[in-house]
Amino acid sequence: MHSRQITWNARAGWTPVKAEPDDVSLVFYFGAREMLACGTRYGELRNMFPMAHILGCSTGGQINNADVSDDEIVAAAIRFDSTQVRLVHQDIADAQQSRSCGETIGRALSREDLAGVFVLSDGLNVNGSELVSGLVAAIGPGIPITGGLAGDGASFADTLVGGDCVPRARMVVGIGFYGSAIRIGHGSAGGWDLFGPRRQVTRSSGNVLFELDGKPALDLYEHYLGPEDSKGLPGSALLFPIQVYDAREPDFSVVRTVLAVDHESRSMTFAGDVPQGWTAQLMRGNLDRLAEGAADAARQARTGLDASEADHQFSILVSCIGRRLLMGQRVSDETEAAGVELGSDTLRVGFYSYGEISPHAKSGICGLHNQTMTVTSFAEVGA
Amino acid sequence: MHRLIARQIAKATDATGAVDMAELATLVASAYEEFDRDRRRTDRSMSLMIEEIDAINCNLERLVAKRTSELRVIEADLRAQNMRFDIAINNMVQGLLLYDSLGRLIVCNQRYIEMYGLSPDVVKPGLGFRDLILHRKETGSFKGDVDVFCSSVWRSVAMGKVTHNVVETNDGRSIQIVNKPLLKGGWVTTHEDITERRRAEERITHLAHYDALTDLPNRALFHDQLKRELARIEPGEQLAVLYIDIDEFKSVNDTLGHMIGDELLKSVAVSLGRCIGGADFVARLGGDEFAIVQTTIKAPADASDLATRIFDSIRAPYDCHGHQVTTDASIGIALAPQHGADIDQILKNADLAMYAAKSAGRRTYRFFEPDMDAQVKARRILEMNLRQAMSDGALEVYYQPCVSLTDNKITSCEALVRWRHPERGMIPPSEFIPIAEETGLINQLGEWVLTTACAEAMTWPDDIKLAVNVSPVQFKSGTLALKIVAALSASGLPADRLELEITEAVLIRDDDAALTILHQLRAIGVRIALDDFGTGYSSLSYLQRFPFDKIKIDRCFVADIAGPDGSSCIVQAVVNIAAARHMMTTAEGVETQQQQELLRALGCTEMQGYLFSPPVPAADIKRLLLSSRDRAVA
Repeated sequence: MHSRQITWNARAGWTPVKAEPDDVSLVFYFGAREMLACGTRYGELRNMFPMAHILGCSTGGQINNADVSDDEIVAAAIRFDSTQVRLVHQDIADAQQSRSCGETIGRALSREDLAGVFVLSDGLNVNGSELVSGLVAAIGPGIPITGGLAGDGASFADTLVGGDCVPRARMVVGIGFYGSAIRIGHGSAGGWDLFGPRRQVTRSSGNVLFELDGKPALDLYEHYLGPEDSKGLPGSALLFPIQVYDAREPDFSVVRTVLAVDHESRSMTFAGDVPQGWTAQLMRGNLDRLAEGAADAARQARTGLDASEADHQFSILVSCIGRRLLMGQRVSDETEAAGVELGSDTLRVGFYSYGEISPHAKSGICGLHNQTMTVTSFAEVGA
Repeated sequence: MHRLIARQIAKATDATGAVDMAELATLVASAYEEFDRDRRRTDRSMSLMIEEIDAINCNLERLVAKRTSELRVIEADLRAQNMRFDIAINNMVQGLLLYDSLGRLIVCNQRYIEMYGLSPDVVKPGLGFRDLILHRKETGSFKGDVDVFCSSVWRSVAMGKVTHNVVETNDGRSIQIVNKPLLKGGWVTTHEDITERRRAEERITHLAHYDALTDLPNRALFHDQLKRELARIEPGEQLAVLYIDIDEFKSVNDTLGHMIGDELLKSVAVSLGRCIGGADFVARLGGDEFAIVQTTIKAPADASDLATRIFDSIRAPYDCHGHQVTTDASIGIALAPQHGADIDQILKNADLAMYAAKSAGRRTYRFFEPDMDAQVKARRILEMNLRQAMSDGALEVYYQPCVSLTDNKITSCEALVRWRHPERGMIPPSEFIPIAEETGLINQLGEWVLTTACAEAMTWPDDIKLAVNVSPVQFKSGTLALKIVAALSASGLPADRLELEITEAVLIRDDDAALTILHQLRAIGVRIALDDFGTGYSSLSYLQRFPFDKIKIDRCFVADIAGPDGSSCIVQAVVNIAAARHMMTTAEGVETQQQQELLRALGCTEMQGYLFSPPVPAADIKRLLLSSRDRAVA
């Protein structure tokens, strides 16, 4: 396996320019919605890599090794020695179809030698929990599924995903890795601190939360955000993610991030389910501990990779937009911390997302995460 | 250098290495703003969190206070409930023990400790099951083997089986012990003293089979025993069933009271018991009816011998609470198997035989005979016909005149009831009057005769009296005087024209009550005659005790009066006594002139008989009376 990074910016276009005959089979690319929407960049990539599967999405910022940028497209071109890849894309009309969409993609990718799946999904019109649950149902619980939901900065207007096509809204792309040579390591961690009292989810429907402890959820958020930050809703709600868990299984908690608010019904829409009857607790970030979380996720991916240091490695980092909003200029603290764990010569590309997909660190069950850094590492070992 | 400022400097440095200060300043200022914002957010969220936690604490404190007071109430309720529970279990009739799954005592009530006289210092919660039984063994209230007993209880508890046992204590009490395993292990034991209950059950069983008054077997037990005996009869063997009905027992009860009556029955029961053999048995079937089963008799004579022994025994006067009471009985005897081999048949036949003894004038016994049944049926048919005749008005009153021996004028007429049966023709009064008396129809019949005759007498000349017979049964009804007053007033007949004829049977028993009624009648103004004098006991004391207006000398003396050793001297004696007490005498059944003359010579006042006139219908007597007016008829 070999991977190399290319970037695009308005000033210089794609660098480095492609020099050799093309044997790349897979290209990931991540960029701001405005840079991808026209489809030109996809066309250029398709020209550069005519034989490759090309998949990418809009983001809330791109990760290019230790740097985080908004004004360039970051891409990784990968050549496999023996691993086969298959790409499936599926349009989705609304969030109700999330599970069936997951099942459709899962069934299409399912094969005996399937080793792992990486998924990019629309970030606003999909219920990520249902999507992943559909995927797991189709391909079984043993296969790692990683990936993320596309982002749209802090504007939450439109998210784009493309898989061998011009990126567009309401699309989900899955890519399957096959064969015995491919090694996939994954890790996911938050690093957020719980604070404030535990609350009961007293009214919710799927991923729409109406009430906590019998009071409108939006009231609570506005109270904590204060008048200034409340203006920035729903983006500012990312400053206070919530952790939810079933009181009967407190160890399997998940963190949920806000996608939208409805001022009229005083409800909030989250990237994953917030089941009624579960327990919820607000979280807040401490910069150092968020960075430690990122390092933790990278460490999990590295240790789980099952490849030698000598093997070429490549990692995709998907981190939550909420972390970036909170960390501001210090967001590089977490990409640097992950880099230290993964090794400075390992290529790391990625993006800030509206939701992360990874097996749960404790249960191993694939699910949707929010407000985490998730790391997926790839290597290919000799036959 | 802080890595942020290093990053900012790197960002503000171009390819030539020149630092854009304005760019750097913007980055630094923005970082400061971010820090400020973050600090403000942190401050705000911390203070809000503190507020929230304060509020939650307050809520918690309130909740704790509320829960505490609720708990106090619950605790008090529990205490009260425990107290009630204690009171309840310590006031139970049963001794109660509750064991846990390891056989340790959890609850033991006071009653259990008292029941066996145990030590409350030993028998208390925590004591092991085996130790408790050991303690009972030591203190003498447990007789068995401790280990055998304990393992049997453990076994049945383990099998989830409820066990019931009754043990007898040294002092003769019966204790019922119930062990009931509990769902979550352990078991509950109750000890109940059922001595009284058992005794009561035995008593109830006894009462169900024995007569409370005489303690003889009752009808139910008698039937059981007889059935057994009948089944046991071997070929060639026989047994006798004797039905014994005490004669006139009702009048003993009516005149001397139930206490005396009961005493008499008890005495009779004892006597009967003495008369029978070892294998025989006697029972009281109810009221004044007794029965004996005489087993394995050799000949019918054995049964008649027993009847004779019974008569001998019960005819001796009994001392009943100071009263000397004599009694007698009617006995029916049926033999098995010849008179019936099944119980219903033999009982029915014994009853028929007893009935025949009664019909034969009581105070005797009869063996069953096959035609007894037919007789009883015939009698029953006659009774039905009589009822029918009474309701159809098929009875008639005839009148027989009574003539003065001094002037041969009719002085009075005796009303006599006659029944013309549609098929059998005239039925003699001797046949249907006893049936009427036995069934009580006589009251209705007598009343009808009285009112009919009174009305009829009003059509006769004023100096002709009316004589009406009154049955002893009518005397016993207690309303005789009232009925006579009613008949007199309904007809308008003056009381002194009515003469009531009674027989000595009215006086034989219960003469105090009879005398009272006789005096009542006399007070009304009616005349009283003693009928059929000379038959039966004919005790002269009757004449002493009541001033009869007239004595009617029975026809048997009249028929015999002319013979060489005739009854003229007896008639003379009666006439003399009557005259001395200012009573009139009427000779009954005069059929010849000779008799008439003799009676006149003996000083008899009046005569009655075919010589002058038989009983005739009302119309005929009216004609006779009118034609004989003011002239002698004989």
